[in-house]
Amino acid sequence: MAKNRYFYCLFVMNTLINILNFTPRELIDARFDGAQSSILVAVAVGTLFIYLFTRVIHKFPGQGLPEIFGSALPKLLASPLIFVYAVLWYMAGTLILLSFVDITLRFISPDTGPYAIMFGFLAVVCLCSRIDSLSLLYGLEVTLGITIPLILYTIVKAIINPDFSWDAVLEVMTHSLHAPDLNSIAAATFTFSGYINMAVFNRVFHGLKLKHLWILSLEGFLMLLITFFVPIGYHGTVGIERHVYTWFSTADSIRIEAFLIERMLYVFYFACITLSLVSAIIQWHVGKELLLSLLPSPSGKPKTKLLQELVILVLFASGALALMRLDQYNLNMLGVFLQHIRWYGEMLMIGLLFWCYWVVRGRRE
Amino acid sequence: MSEQQHTQAVLLEWIRSQLSGFGDLEDKVLTIPAGQVSLLYIKSVTDGQAISRNIIAPFYEMGHPAAYYSYVADYPGSEEVTDGQRALDLLLSGYACIGREGKLCCFDVLRAEASSIKETITESISQGPSDALGESLAVNLNLVRRRYLSSALKMEFTVIGNVSKTKVAILYDESRVNHQVLAELKEKLDSLKLDILQAAGELEKYISSDKLRIFPKTIVTERPDRVVFNLAEGKVAVLLDTTGYAIVLPSIFNDFFTAMDDKIHLPFVGRFLKLLRILGVAMTLWLPALYIAFTSYNPEIVRVQIALLIGGSRATVPYPSFVEVILMMIMMEFLTEASLRLPRAIGPTATTVGGLILGQAATAAGLIGNIMIILVSVVAISNFLVPLNMMSFSIRVLKYFFVIAAAVLGLVGVVICLVGFTLYLCSQRSFGQPYFRMFALDVLGADQRKKSGGQ
Repeated sequence: MAKNRYFYCLFVMNTLINILNFTPRELIDARFDGAQSSILVAVAVGTLFIYLFTRVIHKFPGQGLPEIFGSALPKLLASPLIFVYAVLWYMAGTLILLSFVDITLRFISPDTGPYAIMFGFLAVVCLCSRIDSLSLLYGLEVTLGITIPLILYTIVKAIINPDFSWDAVLEVMTHSLHAPDLNSIAAATFTFSGYINMAVFNRVFHGLKLKHLWILSLEGFLMLLITFFVPIGYHGTVGIERHVYTWFSTADSIRIEAFLIERMLYVFYFACITLSLVSAIIQWHVGKELLLSLLPSPSGKPKTKLLQELVILVLFASGALALMRLDQYNLNMLGVFLQHIRWYGEMLMIGLLFWCYWVVRGRRE
Repeated sequence: MSEQQHTQAVLLEWIRSQLSGFGDLEDKVLTIPAGQVSLLYIKSVTDGQAISRNIIAPFYEMGHPAAYYSYVADYPGSEEVTDGQRALDLLLSGYACIGREGKLCCFDVLRAEASSIKETITESISQGPSDALGESLAVNLNLVRRRYLSSALKMEFTVIGNVSKTKVAILYDESRVNHQVLAELKEKLDSLKLDILQAAGELEKYISSDKLRIFPKTIVTERPDRVVFNLAEGKVAVLLDTTGYAIVLPSIFNDFFTAMDDKIHLPFVGRFLKLLRILGVAMTLWLPALYIAFTSYNPEIVRVQIALLIGGSRATVPYPSFVEVILMMIMMEFLTEASLRLPRAIGPTATTVGGLILGQAATAAGLIGNIMIILVSVVAISNFLVPLNMMSFSIRVLKYFFVIAAAVLGLVGVVICLVGFTLYLCSQRSFGQPYFRMFALDVLGADQRKKSGGQ
């Protein structure tokens, strides 16, 4: 069975990939209109969500979302809910892939066609999302072991750079006293939403106990601050708004003086893409598991299950390919929209879980 | 003639009919005034001296067939049989059959021709024991037992192969072994349907359920000290008769990078050596792929000086870097294989021809860049840092996946391959044990894990 540390892995994964695109962009767009206070609100709300979620999921050891909903909610309500959540997870994974295709084309290999890159991504994501949940957690841990040092190196290198403009940071800080903004809160809470994957991964946890919640909250807070302020320190208070992938542009401004690789961009890209691929795999895995739970599962017929998995993954892949027609602007709009939906979905899920717990307990008594 | 005598005669008659055509079958009736016994054995698998000393001489010395028979039946290793098939099996595996008044007894006089204990060849180490497992099961058991003086070390025997009847010993430390693993192994061994089993590697193939696996799930070793070391870690060892190798299971990824002299070295030296191996594997997997990515797709990644250097060395090369890399790597594989198979006398030819012609002439002719030559040698050398051969071979094959991915997608392909293989490794299980994990963290919690038992 999975140890508790894998829960922290799921959490850290999200705090690290939030650097990628939507969160920094949303926060930086609102840098004069309440991004700073939104970060504080997001930290409080995110920590509260984690606390509530782990409390309630602790009551359902070894059960995933389908089992919990199935046992406490009427089937007519449970199935559509699961379906909606599955689509949400699928979209989250797909968005990561889509934005990474864009990033790769822009920063790494402009010569390779977008579809070639997408096919490469889809191959590994489809194959790997079929792996069982426990193994995915092991894989996530190994990936974090590879990428965290690189990301930390990037961040440290970014901050100690003498050309880092602390004045710009201080200038933006002066706009802190502003009412928080809903868009920014939704984007910033993404940092804390790693726990939500437990909807399926709870199947391999037996009685999750969360210790040191404050570490998670502190880590999330620090990552949000870094996400928000470091690009501003590089590109200036106003110049920053011209960058789409702010963090990649930031990493591209850093030079490593004494190594084979001179541009930090590639180190950062390597770490980010590795982590994002694993993250997309995990999202698709959750989406696939949720959809599978809706289909009838004839016991003792591994072939049927394989077929069902294949159909789901082919649907996933073709959906991702179809979405490649979105341009950068629409992709961004979709991302922002999804951030909102995801946040409300989290609230709804926690509420439903408490409701399920109440129903199950009432039935027992 | 009583009923009993009758059955014995029938039994012997049946055995004789089964063994008709055996030129080396010895079928004698020993007679003294007080009575007689019949003696049956196959010359080629029995020890003539043991027969004359332990079977024939006592019969004439004792002068009393009944007392003699009880001497034979009580002798350690003897077995009284009533079933013809069993008697036949024993005869074939080096027993002599002695029959008297309806009873039949099989007496162990096996002559096993096996080479004596040799030094390790495939897993040499610089310090530490150098005996290798031999080809005789009895000797191997002795080698292991002598190093593991614990009453908890249990042995179970079974026979595999309809024709070869290979004796297989399962060894484990009862107090430490994971009983699930043991049960799974026994189940797999029982369900095996084979005619011939001759090598440990062969058995390894049959007991691994995954047909398409790239990584070995069980260690095949020739070192008794490795067997003992693993037994103490709670693993199961399978020893085969007629082969100089043992199988150790369950084995995880990390085990394949442990050499037996890691323990002998100073702690920091041992760690350093292990780090070196992992670095070697990383180099052998990635260098060719990165070379392709850097030359054909992303020359801007590395420093401009390096990019220019590589570009300069490739100036005369008339084809893309992918072809260059594949060409050189295949050449290197040819060399490795050839020097393995060639008779010792002409072995150096291959290396001279390969080294000189490939190294010097190919660059002089402008077919291959200078840097490529260096790279290929680094890849070849670092591949052999892995202490266990099976893993070394896996990695040899694996690097081509990376090369192809890099050829298709550049740096992105290498990353995709890396993620894919990491997760593939993590999804593997060796007899229920996770194959690949973040080991450092587990070592920290090792004491705690032992208390709670498993995982």
